[in-house]
Amino acid sequence: MNALGLNPGVVGIMWKREMLRYGRDRSQIFGAISRTILWLVILGFGLGAALREIEGYSYAQYILPGVITLNVLFSSLQCAISLVWDREVGLLRSVIVSPAPMLSVTLGKLFGGATIATIQGAIPLLFIPVLGVRVSPQTIVGALAIMFVMGVAITAFGIIVASRLKTFEGFGAISNGIIQPLYFLSGSIFPLRGVIGGVGFLDIPAHLRDELRQLGIFAIGGGWVVQLPVFIQVLVYMNPVSYQLDLLRYVLLDFQQLPLWADFAVTFGLAPVLAVGAAASVKTMLDKRR
Amino acid sequence: MVAAIAVQSVRYNYGDHVAVDDLSLNVENGEFFAILGPNGAGKTTLLNMLMTVTRPRGGQITVMGHDVVTQTEAVRRALGVVFQDPALDDRLTAAENLEIHAVLYALPKAGRREAVRSALEWAQLEQAGSKPVRSFSGGMKRRLELARALMHKPSVLLLDEPTIGLDPQGRRHLWERIGSLRAQGMTVLMTTHNLSEAEACDRVGIIDRGKLVAIGAPAELIAATPEASSLEDVFIAITGKQLFDDSASGRDRLLSFAKQGGEFTQ
Repeated sequence: MNALGLNPGVVGIMWKREMLRYGRDRSQIFGAISRTILWLVILGFGLGAALREIEGYSYAQYILPGVITLNVLFSSLQCAISLVWDREVGLLRSVIVSPAPMLSVTLGKLFGGATIATIQGAIPLLFIPVLGVRVSPQTIVGALAIMFVMGVAITAFGIIVASRLKTFEGFGAISNGIIQPLYFLSGSIFPLRGVIGGVGFLDIPAHLRDELRQLGIFAIGGGWVVQLPVFIQVLVYMNPVSYQLDLLRYVLLDFQQLPLWADFAVTFGLAPVLAVGAAASVKTMLDKRR
Repeated sequence: MVAAIAVQSVRYNYGDHVAVDDLSLNVENGEFFAILGPNGAGKTTLLNMLMTVTRPRGGQITVMGHDVVTQTEAVRRALGVVFQDPALDDRLTAAENLEIHAVLYALPKAGRREAVRSALEWAQLEQAGSKPVRSFSGGMKRRLELARALMHKPSVLLLDEPTIGLDPQGRRHLWERIGSLRAQGMTVLMTTHNLSEAEACDRVGIIDRGKLVAIGAPAELIAATPEASSLEDVFIAITGKQLFDDSASGRDRLLSFAKQGGEFTQ
């Protein structure tokens, strides 16, 4: 069978196909902009009025990497799930009977999904001036690179899911069943630990602040120490998106809550593993019908 | 001479259900062959085996002398396929759909643009080439797909219900196109429910419950069946009058979802 084989032309045309589809789908771009405004601007500044700061960052600044992650999750999974559709009633049927190697077809889709995720993920970056974050060009390049690697991982994960779905009649289940749990349990909108400054709180005494600093917890104003319930902690630590997001936050805000080595290991280790899984899933999906 | 398509004692089953049962038939070079049969008779399974999507559980199939199991790539290059429902990317333009095909079949890079242009011309879609396929009528899509299937110059054309859903003009046009391909010596295998169309074929094979129950030139079959004046009489005489009802597959559900707006409904 033709499942193994790299053909750069095929990878390229399948990538181009995803990009053309994305370019013509205004609802997707609109979705990314509306999500960004809802979460970053409305929730960010709204909730930010109550939670004045998280370890010295404003709430809107704190959730910036989270909103980027949300856009990456949405666009990657949307791209991947279209596989179900494409396989049954779309172009993929004619791709399957062509001599083109399926691995290259899958890679094209994977890179296409990751590229779209990077573009969609970059939309919240446009709000950086409003948030008052100072970034260098290197920071932006680093953030885009992490988005791309995340995009590969999540598109691959989506392909693994899609290859097992028999039918698909709406994105709602994916959104509520996969995207939102991954998003909420990634430290995107609430911190794992640290000091949160709230309205009307007394300032932390200077000696306590020094003590906290020695423990690696930075606090500027007054506030309380966050202690998440254990079950949430466990879920957050188990969620690979937490580490990808933490790395993104480290690059953008120079602030992280998880060990940096774990962030790097998960972000850059998971993408190739899931990519191999996606290629294998597509092969299994086709073999099953043989 | 080796037959264009040679099917020898082929078998396929889904669990306990035998879809194709010890079926043998040959389609000669340059022949126009129609496969007839009620729903669920095994036509689609047979076509899937021919296009190397499904592997026979027994027996052997060759296309232009290439084995469908061991020489998949050669078989795929030799075949041009038109599916029953359009297998196009709706959001892309006609030209973009054709370009993808040119790359998948590794047409030489220098000739791709020209290949796309001449395919559009062949389909009489030059004006619509840069419009998204979403805006096409059923007939335009079918023409586009037929032109696409011919881009890599296949030796055998597989058509699954090619005229279904077409208006009489579209049907006639398609028919003329297929006629001109036959004149050039193309081997054509099609499935159809339209028995008057099948009468125009060189030979037909009737499949029922996975078995080949009749094969021959339409006139021979009519002559051999008592009181038959058309292929339809032959068909009913052989396959009976009972209705064949299938339950909807995941694909059918997706298709009806597509009619409501499909992936564009979010």
